[in-house]
Amino acid sequence: MKILRWSILAGYLTIALLPLIWLAFTSLKSQPEAISTTPGMLPSLTERLEDSGGFRFTVTKEAYGRLQETHTGASHSFISYLSNSILIGLMSTVAAVALGTACAYGFSRFRVAGAHDWLFFILSTRFLPPLAVVVPILMMYRQFDLQNTHLGLILLYTSFNLSLAVWLMKGFIDEIPKAYEEAALVDGYSHLHVFWTIIVPRARTGMAVTAVFCLISAWNEYAFALTLNNTRAVTVPVYFAGLQGNIQGVPWPQIAAGVILFAIPIVVFTILVRKHLLRGVTFGTIKQ
Amino acid sequence: MTKAELHTQRLKHVFIMPALVFLIALNIFPLLYNVILAFSDAELSGGDWQFIGGDNFAEVFEEPRFGTAIRTTATFVFLAVTAELLIGFILALTLREPFKGKSAVLTFLLVPMMLSPAVMGLYWNLILNGHYGILNFVLNLSGFGQPQWLTDPDLKLFSVLLVDIWMWSPFMMLIALAGLQAIPRHLYEAAAIDRASRFTVFWRITLPLCAPLLFLSVLFRTTDALKQFDLIMAITGPNDTATQTLSALLYQVMLRDYNIGLGSAYALVILVIVIALASVFIRYIDTVQRRQGRASP
Repeated sequence: MKILRWSILAGYLTIALLPLIWLAFTSLKSQPEAISTTPGMLPSLTERLEDSGGFRFTVTKEAYGRLQETHTGASHSFISYLSNSILIGLMSTVAAVALGTACAYGFSRFRVAGAHDWLFFILSTRFLPPLAVVVPILMMYRQFDLQNTHLGLILLYTSFNLSLAVWLMKGFIDEIPKAYEEAALVDGYSHLHVFWTIIVPRARTGMAVTAVFCLISAWNEYAFALTLNNTRAVTVPVYFAGLQGNIQGVPWPQIAAGVILFAIPIVVFTILVRKHLLRGVTFGTIKQ
Repeated sequence: MTKAELHTQRLKHVFIMPALVFLIALNIFPLLYNVILAFSDAELSGGDWQFIGGDNFAEVFEEPRFGTAIRTTATFVFLAVTAELLIGFILALTLREPFKGKSAVLTFLLVPMMLSPAVMGLYWNLILNGHYGILNFVLNLSGFGQPQWLTDPDLKLFSVLLVDIWMWSPFMMLIALAGLQAIPRHLYEAAAIDRASRFTVFWRITLPLCAPLLFLSVLFRTTDALKQFDLIMAITGPNDTATQTLSALLYQVMLRDYNIGLGSAYALVILVIVIALASVFIRYIDTVQRRQGRASP
């Protein structure tokens, strides 16, 4: 039984991680090597010998060096799209966490008429398929000149992440004992003061966890970004998708190098919040 | 009401309203706008539009692509969620007992689900490529020939499924694992005293006690898989009969054919399906939360 258990786990882990290892290898290849029908399987730091039986490829950092170049079919380099993603991701995350924390505090500590219904209304916005609302948003954005701007996507991702932020933060704030605030309120401090000096410092872990999940979903978002920002303030997923069907062939090593740079922050953040992953992916409905 | 109480009443709106205003402006308003558009002949290029009554809806139900898209979506959601549930549950069973490095293994397992589906979908094109893809290279060496994953109409949906399963099985594992770990030890001890067989223990204790969380994970994945768009765009594009799900069809009609009125009618029909599912989901989350609330003092 134990052997079966370990072989299933090891087998799955290998199959699941091989694509990611292959991604790293591809980023270290040259273009002809990347689309070779007899691909090198393992990296070799020395020059490739034609008669070494294949199975090895020469490591080159060329793909990473060429990330600053502009590809055919794109108007900027990867780095500039990456900076759009960073700006939009960070700003929308800050906004979603700030608004979400305040809203969660309101629902956690005040008696709100129909609080239960409001909370479920907030949750229900998460089920909206982006494509069902994207055209009305597109028309609104044209009216307000928000199409192809950073601000447009920042506002959209903020609202898109609010349901998650409110639900996660409500869970975290509910866990903070009320005793501290009650003392402060009796002493005559206002709720704003209490929120800022008592709740925010104690909810810091929760805010960090919420921020990571908001950042990841803004970072990875594609449907809205594709339809709203296709000429300026283009984010990385849209840029990558546009490289498909490139006349000169898909530049796989550069794509792989870009994907790795794009994915590293996500992997780091996943590791940082590993204790709270369950909570994050289930909107705080399951607490461990 | 005292002055202080009145002040508190007003203050609570300061905390709650900004978030609600945001949600209403960017979720509810577009939704209502969408309803209006569904009864119009608007086009993306702009210009005047007028109400044309229910014509768009008549067109939706006459359109053969719509029926096909519903079938494709149902097939995709069913196969993806079933496979992910099975794989995820089996993985959770293997991860049940504590061992050294468990936390690291768990984190590694979860990485695919945190990555961008659009970007990983693009990258999977390299793996699945019929000529130079690594998958076919390996299959060919092992004597399985060279299936054309990305161009064979019988295989395209399977390719999308494969990537979806790769990304989302860990999600099921994570929730199933929480379910397994919440099962009280003493039940197993009692079963051992009664000399219950492994099979009985699994069917009478493990599965039923884990079922509520498994159901929650199925609901989560179903509502997400229904929306799946990124992977389909990256692997086959929005206008491929073999993989044209409702989301892909919606994108094609609205943003490639520029027919907003018809697209909005599609969107409404899809919304009805999503809302039906979401209301089941929300009711279930409500019961799960109430149960948790009762369990903790």
